[in-house]
Amino acid sequence: MSRTLKACRSLFIIRVTENLQYRAAGIANSSISIIWSILQIVIFTIFFTLGDATGAAMTLTQAITYAWLTQILWSIVGYFTVDAEIREKVINGNVALDLCRPLDLYAHWFSKTMANKIGRSAWRSAFTLIAAVGVPAALRLSPPVSIEGFLLFLISLCTGALLCVAFAMLMAAVRVGLTWGEGPTYMLESVGMFLNGNYFPLALWPDFMQGFLLFQPFAGLMDIPFRFYLGLLAPSDAFWVIGLQIFWVVAFIAAGRFLLNRKISHLIVQGG
Amino acid sequence: MAHIELQEIRKTYKVHERPTGKWSVLKGAFIRNTKIVQALGGISFSANQGELVGLIGPNGAGKSTTVKIMSGILTPDSGTCLIHGRMPWKERKAHVADIGVVFGQRTQLWWDVPISDSFQLLRDIYDIPKGDFQVRSQELALALDIEGLLSTPARQLSLGQRMRCEIAAALLHRPKLLFLDEPTIGLDAVSKLALRAFLKEENKQTGVTVLLTTHDMDDVDALCNRVMVIGHGQLLYDGAFDGLKEQYATYQGQDIDEVIAAMYKELAL
Repeated sequence: MSRTLKACRSLFIIRVTENLQYRAAGIANSSISIIWSILQIVIFTIFFTLGDATGAAMTLTQAITYAWLTQILWSIVGYFTVDAEIREKVINGNVALDLCRPLDLYAHWFSKTMANKIGRSAWRSAFTLIAAVGVPAALRLSPPVSIEGFLLFLISLCTGALLCVAFAMLMAAVRVGLTWGEGPTYMLESVGMFLNGNYFPLALWPDFMQGFLLFQPFAGLMDIPFRFYLGLLAPSDAFWVIGLQIFWVVAFIAAGRFLLNRKISHLIVQGG
Repeated sequence: MAHIELQEIRKTYKVHERPTGKWSVLKGAFIRNTKIVQALGGISFSANQGELVGLIGPNGAGKSTTVKIMSGILTPDSGTCLIHGRMPWKERKAHVADIGVVFGQRTQLWWDVPISDSFQLLRDIYDIPKGDFQVRSQELALALDIEGLLSTPARQLSLGQRMRCEIAAALLHRPKLLFLDEPTIGLDAVSKLALRAFLKEENKQTGVTVLLTTHDMDDVDALCNRVMVIGHGQLLYDGAFDGLKEQYATYQGQDIDEVIAAMYKELAL
């Protein structure tokens, strides 16, 4: 076990440094994030000013901040496709080489996915953050509601990142051994993309759905951390909400491990 | 006790086929014909520590399947395989810690980082003690003449340079058994000769068992004291390479490839 941990730590470091080389890609990606945020902000502004916003669960300023946070942290908690490197290995059969390492495959791939996420998001997040505080006041990211709120935001963001990787790993396990492509993983992905608040803050959905929306696993990715940041969840709720996140992390890891191990025992690597 | 022991290993693959004829594309969208293809039909052999064994046979004969089963990647349908007393696919992690693998057509070095970083990572993966790692990596770098390449990323190396680094990477943790799957594919004459000389020396020095699959008969001739021919999922010949030559050569000094072709033809492969 300690060998796996040590190796995964080195794998993690090597992948993060490797990814940090690609600064230009980070700038390019952040431009997508910035344009997308501004677009969302424009739409929110139209709805909030022209529609009846009394009794809405969020103010316009909060919605704007939510939109920026979504984009700044998108690579870490908004995006859970099967890691590109792992998908490539599944397609070209290099899974075989990973199986020739004396490592737990799940742990190996988990650290790889996490490293790629963090390494790739660093530049993108930094540039998007600069834009978010640099734009005119009406479009700007607001500071967190309180210090407690911010700390809880950071803690639940870490759990959210684990959850994100655990979900990506479940999808990787689904992908292993499929000869017919990305269909199933795309389906799972689009469900997650809606339910994590990526397109629309969960608090703004109809009231009768709120209970379900908070308990479903994808809320733990970005919506729960953002609610702490905005003050939509009180610090007193932290215990059960973060507990819920952890519950889903454990559930996804268990499911992913089970499926991956099962798939590997039936795996066929074609070709010489 | 034999170090590698395979008994009656069988493996079949399922192959999907599209119906042929008129409307076949449409029909194929709904109906799938599956065909069972036999890759290995009961292979048995054993080998001792320190042997240099060559596995030859035409494409699709079952060589790679045999190697994959022995390296723990594939689970056979039936039969037993004991390597160092372990079933590779049952105790995969413990098993692969004792073996080294080089697939000529795949790379196991990290593409964008210097070779020395890849080696460091392998040190952590295989949990090699620090002192031993120093000694071993220097010894391999010297023998394979890759000292000057260690700070270059893998993607910037030529195939011959990369292959030497791959071999060093596979031997860092002093495996007891080394699988080489077409290690000389695409290499120039100088690199090939250097690689053969190195493998021979390494085998003599450390007593590592080498199992080599190749289509290059000169590899087998230069390296292996034992050769196995696999065809149609069966073991067809097991013995010295010279014996094979004697059996199938029609005249003295015939080209090795011709001899092998004659053999494949005679065995209806």
